[in-house]
Amino acid sequence: MEIESISSAEIEHRESDGIEVLRIASQHPIPDPDDWLDENIKRNVIFTTVDAALNWARKTSLWPVTAFTACCTFEFIGASSSRFDIARFGMEVLRASPRQADLLVCAGTLTWKMAPQIKRLYDQMAEPKWTIAMGACAISGGIFHDSYSVVPGYNHIVPIDVYIPGCPPRPETLLAGIEKLRRKIEKESISKPR
Amino acid sequence: MTTAVDYNDLVALLQKQFGKGFTPATDYVEMPAALIAQVAEYMKNTLRFDFFDMVTAVDYSDHFEIVYRLQSIQNNSLASFKIKCSKNTSVPSLANLWLGANFQEREIYDLFGIEFTGHPNLKRIVLWDGFEGHPLCKDFKGKVYDTAN
Amino acid sequence: MNWSLSPNWPGNFWLRLLIIAVVIIAYVMASVIMFIWMERRVIARFQSRLGPNRAGPFGLLQAFADTIKILTKEDIIPTLADKLLFWIAPAIAFVPTLMIMAVIPLMNGLQLADLNVGVLYIAAISAVSAIGVFLSGMAGNNKYSLVGAIREIAQLISFEIPMVLALSGLVIACGSMSLSSIIDAQNIPFILVQPLGFAIFMVAILAEINRTPFDLVEADSELTCGFNTEYSGMKFALLYLTEYSEAVVGSALITTFFLGGWRGPWLPGILWFIIKMFASFMFILWLRGTLPRLRIDQSMKLAWKGLLPLALINLFIIGLKTVFFPDLSRWISVPAYIVISVIIIMLWAIFMRKERQSFGA
Repeated sequence: MEIESISSAEIEHRESDGIEVLRIASQHPIPDPDDWLDENIKRNVIFTTVDAALNWARKTSLWPVTAFTACCTFEFIGASSSRFDIARFGMEVLRASPRQADLLVCAGTLTWKMAPQIKRLYDQMAEPKWTIAMGACAISGGIFHDSYSVVPGYNHIVPIDVYIPGCPPRPETLLAGIEKLRRKIEKESISKPR
Repeated sequence: MTTAVDYNDLVALLQKQFGKGFTPATDYVEMPAALIAQVAEYMKNTLRFDFFDMVTAVDYSDHFEIVYRLQSIQNNSLASFKIKCSKNTSVPSLANLWLGANFQEREIYDLFGIEFTGHPNLKRIVLWDGFEGHPLCKDFKGKVYDTAN
Repeated sequence: MNWSLSPNWPGNFWLRLLIIAVVIIAYVMASVIMFIWMERRVIARFQSRLGPNRAGPFGLLQAFADTIKILTKEDIIPTLADKLLFWIAPAIAFVPTLMIMAVIPLMNGLQLADLNVGVLYIAAISAVSAIGVFLSGMAGNNKYSLVGAIREIAQLISFEIPMVLALSGLVIACGSMSLSSIIDAQNIPFILVQPLGFAIFMVAILAEINRTPFDLVEADSELTCGFNTEYSGMKFALLYLTEYSEAVVGSALITTFFLGGWRGPWLPGILWFIIKMFASFMFILWLRGTLPRLRIDQSMKLAWKGLLPLALINLFIIGLKTVFFPDLSRWISVPAYIVISVIIIMLWAIFMRKERQSFGA
């Protein structure tokens, strides 16, 4: 293992450059793919049983990664405790390592300083992966939309599959959002890679 | 409960040591900026105010106010000080007396632009190095992100 | 059903070898699937919630969904990782568990090889699996997984010694290292005859298979996933499978050595083996649902200061009994040894607590 030794001023300089580059590159939100809402999806080759089996497996065992930013985390924690129990959907296995997880739950306000790390985390996840934007701050920056330090919505940094409104959304709302994501996964096909 | 000291008594003590310039109010003592280093050292070593609770700054549009809060664990009391200073001013740093002042003074420098002389490591702490401007000043124009959506 | 090595099998013994190997692998896989389901549902019931129940009736298909999903994930290899070690480390971790199952009799004669040094073989092979875990932590070019791997080796070495000493007590009691003769000697299960040995073996085997309270190797809050941080896809599936098949093997060893193996009245032996194995796994799950995790220094202290002296005392007492009281009636020796073990454990706990107070926990 090679260890590079650089001064702390150099580390801060590199971090600051990364943030500035990301800020310039993320001026517009990443467009949401809407074609899964269309009932007549055109496919070239149809794999019904393979698709059905893979989609069932992927939607039954969605593993979130433990990377949450702010207060919506506590609603997620509430959803994973005894009363609301996301373990029923197979999601109680929260893997701390992004390489083994499928789902990034973007819970909480994202600041520009944290944004390169979230992008790095998303890039490290193995395909196929999904994201849920939970709460007003994740959808659009929430009440901090005009702030000098807040990214106005996670969709400037990572592509989002499902948006869950609320500030914070109640655990039942989170479960409804997860169910929407499961319906979306059901409609995927291996003939059209994400 | 930690109770505030009687500020009239505190001002009497300080005036005996350092001369005039201290004004008591109900919740704080107002003092000139030049005396802060000696007063802090007196408060810590002689009056045993050994716990540095916080330092923060307020921007009234024509001047800044820096607010200090010190607590004494042995006497279970607290004391508050305010300094009026102008923009682009520099204030002596208390980071060598109390370690708790280190990060808080960096935050004030980051968000207000007030420089603390004698601080061992005065650079931005909550924002990144390349950020231009000091956001919590009333005349900070514009946010980082400018398209309307 | 006579599964023993008789020369009437067609094809001499090769056919028997093949069939029993397939049976053992199928048994391990089926047990792993059941254990994954049991773990999720039972721990959920300990925590007053339901476990997975959407995946099929009672969530029985959850393990299949997990497996299919992991197998079809993208396979990521870090750029600076050691490629050869990265590829083979999960295999080195998994294969020894199957090798240990080869000497465990599932039924009368249903074992792949009746080695007459079975206990020694088990003690040796159980260390190889930890080498695989250590290599997988080292090969990922990640300092946190390296720390996890180092902790794993430290824990393995510390708990291997009390485990082998507890097994030596067994070997003295029945005079042979072969597993089938250990089972034959268990007219009363050894959990009653050697309760101190059982307690030591139970704690040591929990540490060998990295289960709570000794699962600091993969502690989420300290090292993100420990040694398997950099793995995804099929290699991670193999490491995930290793964790559960080690639990299977641990339960099987407890059943064989202390609960009487496949012996039992009026049910076929394989069913008794399954019942006892699941009962010991339920006990392991009970510990997981109840106990918090130990720190690495606490677990080292437990191994070297707690278990090792107890294991030596256990061996000494068994040696004394075998030499001086070989014909003692079991109505006297069993309750006497239970009382003696309880007294020894209580004295040792008081001693450890006094020491902790003097040095500071």
